[in-house]
Amino acid sequence: MTKRALANADGLVRANAPAFLILTSLASGPKHGYALAKDVEAFAGVALGPGTLYGAITRLEERRLIAATPIEERRQPYVITATGRTALASAVRDMRALADEGAARLRLRDAKPQPRPSASGAAS
Amino acid sequence: MKFSRRFERIIRWYPSAWRARYGEGLAALLEDTYGERPVPRGVRVSLARAGVVERAREAGVVGSATSPNDRLRAGSLLVLCGWSFFVVAGAVFAKFTEHWSLATPAAHRTLPSISDATVRGAGAIGAIVVIVAGAFAAPTVVRLVRTQGWSSIRRPVLRATLAVACVATMTTGLALWAHQLSYQQRNGGLYPYGIGVLVTGVAALVAIATVTESVITISRRLNFSRQVLRLLSSLALALTLSMSVIVTAVALWWASEAMYAPHFLGSNIGGILDNSRAMPPALVIAGLLMLVGLASATVGAARVLGGLKGA
Repeated sequence: MTKRALANADGLVRANAPAFLILTSLASGPKHGYALAKDVEAFAGVALGPGTLYGAITRLEERRLIAATPIEERRQPYVITATGRTALASAVRDMRALADEGAARLRLRDAKPQPRPSASGAAS
Repeated sequence: MKFSRRFERIIRWYPSAWRARYGEGLAALLEDTYGERPVPRGVRVSLARAGVVERAREAGVVGSATSPNDRLRAGSLLVLCGWSFFVVAGAVFAKFTEHWSLATPAAHRTLPSISDATVRGAGAIGAIVVIVAGAFAAPTVVRLVRTQGWSSIRRPVLRATLAVACVATMTTGLALWAHQLSYQQRNGGLYPYGIGVLVTGVAALVAIATVTESVITISRRLNFSRQVLRLLSSLALALTLSMSVIVTAVALWWASEAMYAPHFLGSNIGGILDNSRAMPPALVIAGLLMLVGLASATVGAARVLGGLKGA
């Protein structure tokens, strides 16, 4: 993977980037703001603040990586688009390549994945 | 927009178009997260910051999603904002440096003389650039009034006119008062006069901010032709250059006076801001205003250059 590939990933490659986390969450189905925040906190241990979450949603929708679906009881659900899936897949491949490189350099290639400790990241 | 009044104030930080699109969803998220509990201060601050960023994005000041034309327009407006800081700082500097040559030894007047003349020259060029830009923008303003009516720009124009009229009245009153006072009274001897000078200065600052805000509001409604926009952008770059020259010349003048006539820097403005060190508050304030203005103009110029490149 080249530096250019990283640059093209547009900030999605960072595992804690809100855009990456939101796309990952939406990959399993449509969600509204609160459900997204809770899901991200559950699988990544990152608490996305409302400002960060909606800032990322705005950018992702502008770039047509996600789309709004009809409002349900005042809540606006979002769904990942085909372009979003492609971008997420590309970012995941890039991250996997980086992780493999790190594992190889640390000689962790045969190591079994460790269960995630009770992480508590924060992004307000 | 029907989101709860509870969240209305928090969401107000965002631009209206954004609120129309995402406000309801954000309010629902806040309600789901906090229920009847108050929204924590940290979250309010974070939302305020995010709202300001969103406004800056909408105005084309940050972000790459905007078109080259929007970047040219936003960059030029940022430069204009920067210039408004220079107008205030320039007035403070001009007042402070009155009669500086009398207090400076003849052998050491060359550098401050050149610097002072450069500040005045670059300031005059900057003012001309702004006037020329206004002249180029005027036909587009006339076209807007003709097509959309006077009501489309009435509010910002009235606001700006009122602000300028207030300051003009205060300045006239102050000038009439000053004519009845002695030199000592005008220069720190009469405390109420000093307060008057300071209040008028603050009013001028508010008026300049109001006029700048009005110009920004109106210009965002203008549909400039590509040619006019490029012309205005070029003038914005010239204005930024003028500001850089002014800052450099002020720094040289200041350093030179601090070295050869430090007692002059103990001068004061209206008896309120005075001391006898090489860092007089009035000059520090003027310098800081200039730096803020130059920073704004530099960011604007970078946006303009980006817009010109992307065009």
